[in-house]
Amino acid sequence: MTVGMAQKTEGIQQLLIAEKKATERVVDARKRKAQRIKAAKREADTEIQAFKNEKDAQYKHYEAEILGKKSDNEIQIQQVTTKKVQELDVMLKKNSTTAADAVKSMLFKIDIQLHENVKL
Amino acid sequence: MAGMSDAEVQGQIAHMIAFIEQEASEKVEEIECKAEEEFNLEKGRLVTQARTKIIEHFDKKIKQVELQKKIQHSNLLNASRLQVLKHKERLVNNLFETISKDSARVSSDDPKKYKQALSDLTLQALCRVLEPNVTVQVRQQDLQLMKSLLPGIKERYTGISQGKYQVEIAIDEQNFLPSDLIGGIVLTAQGGKITINNTLDERLKHIGRQMQPQIREMLFGPNPNRTFMD
Repeated sequence: MTVGMAQKTEGIQQLLIAEKKATERVVDARKRKAQRIKAAKREADTEIQAFKNEKDAQYKHYEAEILGKKSDNEIQIQQVTTKKVQELDVMLKKNSTTAADAVKSMLFKIDIQLHENVKL
Repeated sequence: MAGMSDAEVQGQIAHMIAFIEQEASEKVEEIECKAEEEFNLEKGRLVTQARTKIIEHFDKKIKQVELQKKIQHSNLLNASRLQVLKHKERLVNNLFETISKDSARVSSDDPKKYKQALSDLTLQALCRVLEPNVTVQVRQQDLQLMKSLLPGIKERYTGISQGKYQVEIAIDEQNFLPSDLIGGIVLTAQGGKITINNTLDERLKHIGRQMQPQIREMLFGPNPNRTFMD
C-alpha cells in the first residue's frame, strides 16, 4: 500500500468514528428526552400534593371556625329561649287573675235557647 | 491519488467531520428543545387538571358544611319555638287547674249562684233535647237541692216554649256524679240513647278548647306572627 492509501483509510476511519459519535449523541439526547417527560409526571405529582395539602389545611381551618360558630349560635339561641320563657312567666303573673275571672264568668254565663228548628 | 494533496484531503476530512458534528449538535439541540417543551406541556396539563379537581372537591365540602350549618340553625330555632309553646301550654293548663279548684268552691261558698247555675244548666239541656221525659244525674250532695228546683225548672221550660212543651224530669238516685266535680248535671233521654253532659267541668273543658286563642291573648298578648284574625 502506498502512503496515500493508508491516509485514505485513516480518513474514512475518522469519518466513521465521527459518525458513530454523532449517532450516540443523538441517541443519548433522545433518551434524556424520554427521561425528562417521565420527570414531568413526578414533578407534577409533587406540586399537586403540595397544593392539595394547602387546600386541605385551609379547609380544616374553615371547618374549625364553623364549629366554633355553631356552638356560639347554640348558646345564643338557648339564652333567647330562656328569656322568652321568663317573659311568659312574668306576663302570666300579671294577667292570670283577669283571664281567670273572664273564664269563670264565661263558665256561669249559661245561654238558654230553644233548638233552632223549633216552630212555636 | 492525483489532484489533491494530502493536506487538502486531510482538510476535507476535517471539514466533513466538523459538518457531522455540527449536524449532531443541531439535532441534539432540537431534541433538547422539544424535550423541554413537552415536559412543560405535560407537567402543566397534569397540574391544571388536578388543581381543578381539588378545588371542586373542597368547594363541594364547603357547600355541605354550610348546608349543615343552616339545617342545624333551623332545627335549633324550631326547638326553641317548641320550648316556648310547650311552656305556654303548661301555664295555661295550670291556670285552668286553678280555675277548676276555685270554681269547685262556688257550690259551697255561693249557694245562690250555684242554685241558679243548676237550674240554668238543666233548662239549657232541656231546650236542646226537646224530650218529654228526661232523667238527670247530679252529685250526691246536690240531690236535695235538685229536687227542690224541679218544679221551677219545669215551669220555666213550659214558659220558654210558650206553652208548647211539657216535661217530666226524674232524678237518678242510683247513679250519682262524682262528688269532686265542680257541679252541674248530666241529662239523659230515651232510655240513655241521648245524653247531654252539662256539668260545669265539661263546660270548663269546652271553654278551654274553644277559647284557647283568646285566653292566650289575654295572658301573653297578641301573637305577632298571626295573619288571619277571622
